[in-house]
Amino acid sequence: MKTKKRKRQDDFQKVKLKVGKKKPKADNATNTNFRTKGIHLTEQLKRDTSGPTTLRQLGINDLLSQLHHYNANVKHSALLGLRELLSINPSVLEQHLSRLLSEVAAVFTDKDRNVRVAATRVLRFIAQSVPAERVAPFFPLLSAHLSCAMTHIEAGIQEDAMNVLDVFLEHYPALLAARPAVLLTNFLELISHRQSSSGAKKAQDTKGRTWALSVTPDRAVTSQQWRLSVLLRLGRFLQAVVEERPMEKSGMSVSVEGVFGSSEEGRLTPLYLNWEDLIYSKVGFKVYEHSGAKPSPHSTFRLRPEVEPGAAVGEGLDSAETVQSFAVTLVPLLLEVWIEASATDCSWNSTEGAHLLTPDAMSVMFQVLSILQLLRKLTPQQEHQEALDAWFRKEYLGDFKQHFMKNFPYGALDTPKHKKKVDLKRNKQTAAIPSLTVEPLALNITLCQVMVSLSQKQGLGREVDGDWLTPLRTFVRDTLGSGVKLSYRQLHMLLGTVWKMVLTQRSKTVTEDLLAAVYVYYKQRNLPLQTRSLLLSFYSKLYQQEQGHTHIARSKVLSRWLASLPVQLSQLGHRNPVLSAQLIFSIQAAASRGNKDLLNSLQTHANSLYDPEEGVVALLPIESQQRMVQLLYFLPKMSQSLLANLSSCCTAGRFSASLTASLIRIIHLRSSLSGWSVGSQEAALQDVDYISFLFSTLTGFSSEKLDTLQEADDECALPSSPLSPLSLYLTPLEQFTHHWDVVEEVCHCLETLGSKSQCFDIFQTGICKYLTKLEVVPDSMAAGLLRAVSRLLDLSILPVEPVLGFLSHCCLSLLALLVSLQQAAPTETNHKREAVWTACVTALSTIPRLLRIVLQLLHVGDMNEEELPQLGQILSMLLQHTPLHNQLLANTALLQEIIQHLTRYSRGATREQWLTDLLYCYSVTVAHGSSAHRGNLCLRDMY
Amino acid sequence: MAAPLEVIVSSDSSAQLWNISVFDLHSGSSLLSYRGGNSAARTLTVLSGEYLLSAQLGKNFINVWEIQRKDQLQQKIVCPGVVTCLTASHNGLFLATGVGEAVYLWEVCTGKLLSVLSRHYQDITCLKFTDDNSHFISGGKDNLALVWSLHSVIQLDISHTPEPRHVLSRHTLPITDLHCGLMGPQARVATSSLDQTVKVWELSSGELLLSVLFDVAVMSVTFDPCEYFIFCGGSDGNIFQVSLCSQTLGREKSFQSDNEGNQVFRGHRNLVTCLSVSLDGTLLLSGSHDETVRLWDVQSKQSIRCLTHKGPVTNAIIMAAPANMFLPDSRPAVPLPRFSRHLHASEGDGAEMGEVCIRLGLHAKDEEETFLQKADRLNSLMNAVTDKSVFGDGENTKVRVSELEEEVQTLKKVNKDLYDFSCQLLTKPT
Repeated sequence: MKTKKRKRQDDFQKVKLKVGKKKPKADNATNTNFRTKGIHLTEQLKRDTSGPTTLRQLGINDLLSQLHHYNANVKHSALLGLRELLSINPSVLEQHLSRLLSEVAAVFTDKDRNVRVAATRVLRFIAQSVPAERVAPFFPLLSAHLSCAMTHIEAGIQEDAMNVLDVFLEHYPALLAARPAVLLTNFLELISHRQSSSGAKKAQDTKGRTWALSVTPDRAVTSQQWRLSVLLRLGRFLQAVVEERPMEKSGMSVSVEGVFGSSEEGRLTPLYLNWEDLIYSKVGFKVYEHSGAKPSPHSTFRLRPEVEPGAAVGEGLDSAETVQSFAVTLVPLLLEVWIEASATDCSWNSTEGAHLLTPDAMSVMFQVLSILQLLRKLTPQQEHQEALDAWFRKEYLGDFKQHFMKNFPYGALDTPKHKKKVDLKRNKQTAAIPSLTVEPLALNITLCQVMVSLSQKQGLGREVDGDWLTPLRTFVRDTLGSGVKLSYRQLHMLLGTVWKMVLTQRSKTVTEDLLAAVYVYYKQRNLPLQTRSLLLSFYSKLYQQEQGHTHIARSKVLSRWLASLPVQLSQLGHRNPVLSAQLIFSIQAAASRGNKDLLNSLQTHANSLYDPEEGVVALLPIESQQRMVQLLYFLPKMSQSLLANLSSCCTAGRFSASLTASLIRIIHLRSSLSGWSVGSQEAALQDVDYISFLFSTLTGFSSEKLDTLQEADDECALPSSPLSPLSLYLTPLEQFTHHWDVVEEVCHCLETLGSKSQCFDIFQTGICKYLTKLEVVPDSMAAGLLRAVSRLLDLSILPVEPVLGFLSHCCLSLLALLVSLQQAAPTETNHKREAVWTACVTALSTIPRLLRIVLQLLHVGDMNEEELPQLGQILSMLLQHTPLHNQLLANTALLQEIIQHLTRYSRGATREQWLTDLLYCYSVTVAHGSSAHRGNLCLRDMY
Repeated sequence: MAAPLEVIVSSDSSAQLWNISVFDLHSGSSLLSYRGGNSAARTLTVLSGEYLLSAQLGKNFINVWEIQRKDQLQQKIVCPGVVTCLTASHNGLFLATGVGEAVYLWEVCTGKLLSVLSRHYQDITCLKFTDDNSHFISGGKDNLALVWSLHSVIQLDISHTPEPRHVLSRHTLPITDLHCGLMGPQARVATSSLDQTVKVWELSSGELLLSVLFDVAVMSVTFDPCEYFIFCGGSDGNIFQVSLCSQTLGREKSFQSDNEGNQVFRGHRNLVTCLSVSLDGTLLLSGSHDETVRLWDVQSKQSIRCLTHKGPVTNAIIMAAPANMFLPDSRPAVPLPRFSRHLHASEGDGAEMGEVCIRLGLHAKDEEETFLQKADRLNSLMNAVTDKSVFGDGENTKVRVSELEEEVQTLKKVNKDLYDFSCQLLTKPT
């Protein structure tokens, strides 16, 4: 008890506080008399230097993590920061692409509008700088987020999804188009809703329609504008699908370029070889492995499909069935959209102006039509497309006629002034929707194309389309005929329409009507090149279609067009080689079909076309020249003047040697002397003309040119001397070579003429008549003549004396030239020297008489000192040539005389090298010969 | 002496002593000669080993010999125009003739003219069947070669104008010759043209595989049986050999330093118009306008033999010797009928009209049409026939209508009797 008490006292001892005394400190008092100092952990506070940062020192990791923040403003600023970071440091993009894309895509569906807009901006920025193939692996994710946004329950998110879609369509159309099925359904859901099952029963009465347009009153924009913007995207999307389809080229070119598109490439790439390359085995090829086609490195095969199979609609939109099933839902919706648009339009419109549309209605209609058009193009194969057309016709022709054709040529309604205010207000509201103005012309043309594609081949037992096609036809005719400025694309579409109408209607009047309108357009001046070539290819494709279409074959417009082609070609000149090539192609196609109009026109203009100076043939590039030369084959008659032109074409050097050869061959084929004729094709030229053509080509110089040569005292011409009796005009090396090649070809033609003796007869008459009186002779001509004579001459024929005289002059002059050339320039003129030498030697050996005359011409006494060595050289060269030995031996007496003279006249000087050589050659030759010819003279006598 | 396995058959345009002569391939000795007329280029053909056909030069008929009777013409087939080319199908069932711009196709066993194809714009220069006779190809002066499928051409359906399966249109000047390789519809076709190219095409797709540009116009072309080489006869008398498999080309190159001239057969002096390779691919036969036929060894490219003729050579073929050729007593199994000159020449003899029945080989049938469709079409045709016979012309219908009216009358009468009778029964007081 006592202890208890004491304890209590201990516990609760009273502290006595007294005034003036310091208060004792409490036991638990905190000692505050320490001083603090900051601790700097230098490592921790270092900035994020692992990567670049924004101005607010935020790195990519911070920014990305901020995107998960609950606050919209933080997210917004993070997105702005991202954009800033990426624009400063593009390298970040490469490193963090995967994370960036997945995080940014996740905020597509953010509740706050600003965030979504910022996200779209970032996405656009990324899309601009990253190519499609690098985004491809992330694209499933992106498109999943896109779908999510498009089908979001909030209208605002849906609207902004359109902007995201725009970015994708702009930058990655191929990726987007790769899997179209899901997106298509999304599009449908944007503007309509599936009717409930109870409604479906009722709807079965009305064509089993289960989708209906939806109206959302709480949208910021009117439902009309909303639909327009969706349709716009849908149109772009389908366009992407059509364009990016990885199908074979042929199918695509048909669908994109139109039926008369210029490219017509097959699946295989043919191999073009040249015989020269082959023979030197520069190229190797195997026909039986891949057939020259190259394997494509971009295989689309994947072991595991990217999307699990069994998606709602079949993956690709490439079969007619899938397109049909899609169209079944889409087309009624489109029609409804248009009906509503036109109804609102008409409500404040008087009835007589029903064909006038407000810009809004017009763009709605334009979108509807272009989507219809794209739907048609979705199937790649031609036969599917036809099936689809037929199906469209069956299902919807009535609807289309009723809704589209009623007020067909649509025009724009002039917006009254007092509406302007309202419009401004509206514009402010709908800033998000890209406003595009549609011209009524474009609208009408598209409508034409859509409707005409529905028309059918006229046949027995089929309903006639005439009634509703007539306004279309009138429109097309008026548009083309009135000279309205059309863009390339519009013209392309119009021509497509004409094409289809001409092929399906099969009536002569319709064809004439339309083609005449096109012709009016064609005849306009100042058309751009692209347009001009489009029109040209339209006509030429149409012409090639004529088989089986008598109404096309008999069309007067077409034949007028064909007949005008040669004139156009000659007028075009060298100004536009591409267009000329196209013209020549068309001409050739028609010529090979034996089109009378064209051939007549070609014949009348042949002289100007083949003029050697300013004719087209001389001015165009080599490929076109070749075509032009080939065209000659089809000419029904070749006049003398034309042949004269051609001959000077051959010699003027505008053509390559091979082209000249083929020209000569073609003329040869068309003469009656060629022997190759199948069927009944009369010769285009008379034999006389042909031979004179050959002769003048062989000569290589026109008579006028030769005349001027005679008169001009050119320094080019070597003066005549006792050693070279003719004055030789030195042709440039190139011309000489060219002429030599031509001579070979002409000789070949002359050889195949048949009787050689007659041929030679004519030939020597020609020489007699035209050439023997010449004083100045071009060296190429002299060599050519010698070559021709030696090739044509039989041993049985003896040339007449004047010709022999002329030839011997030629020969001697050439030999003199040869010697002088040998001294001057050894390397460059190798070919020329060889040609000259062979020409001389073969001529001398084939005509023994010629050798004799040449030897007789050598009057040593008349020559001066400089010429003696040259003569010596000539003689030793002849003596060294073994094929000539026999001929020379026959003329030993002459030879001996000459050599004696030579030794006598050169006695004054010291015995020179050339003389020693000559004497040696002579002794060898004669000694060699003396074994055969006994009792020859001995050399001793000479000394 | 054993009968030769392969023979050379050739003709020239002058034909002073005989028209067509037959030589032994290996000895070069002349075996036979057929007299009468002279032959136009690319018109010599053997019909099922029993008849020899060739078109008369510049005239509008075809000479026919029985192959064992060399001195007597069996028949002259008169054609509507000058024959430019002629070929018989390998099984001897069809005869295709180019007359001007049109192809005339006859059925040999009946002599009926099955169809006239006028898709060419200018004269036809050459015609060839594929080795399984399912297609034939025609080349013309309008730069086109057309591939026809035989069964689509010979349809009975008259309203249907036959369309070529492919149009080969890459040449720019007339086609001079074509050769069709083996393998039926999967064959490769070579065409030669005056535009100095030889082009190789795939028959099944009609695509161009290869185009070789030469220095001269090419007048004739052929493959060897293995299709290792193309031989092209130029207008300057050279024959060019193009190897189609580069491996051999490469090997050759490594062993022989100079390749130049190795691939050219030189010897002719004028257009080489016909080429043919022996069955074993070792010998090449060429006929030229320089009035010679030359036989070449393909390996060494030398001329082994030169058979001189009296005029430009028009035909020169190496072919397996037909069995009947050297048996003077043999007879053709089937006599040759008269060939009709008109497409539907049956106004007079209606009895012959119904006889034609064309059966295609099992695999040569059209695959595009299913049997159901065919049955449908046949059904409609048959119906059309019965409809025509029953309801066809006015008189028939009248008779028929009156018959039916009579029947209705009788039926009504029977009905009325029955009615009366039952009325009587019912109303009769019992």
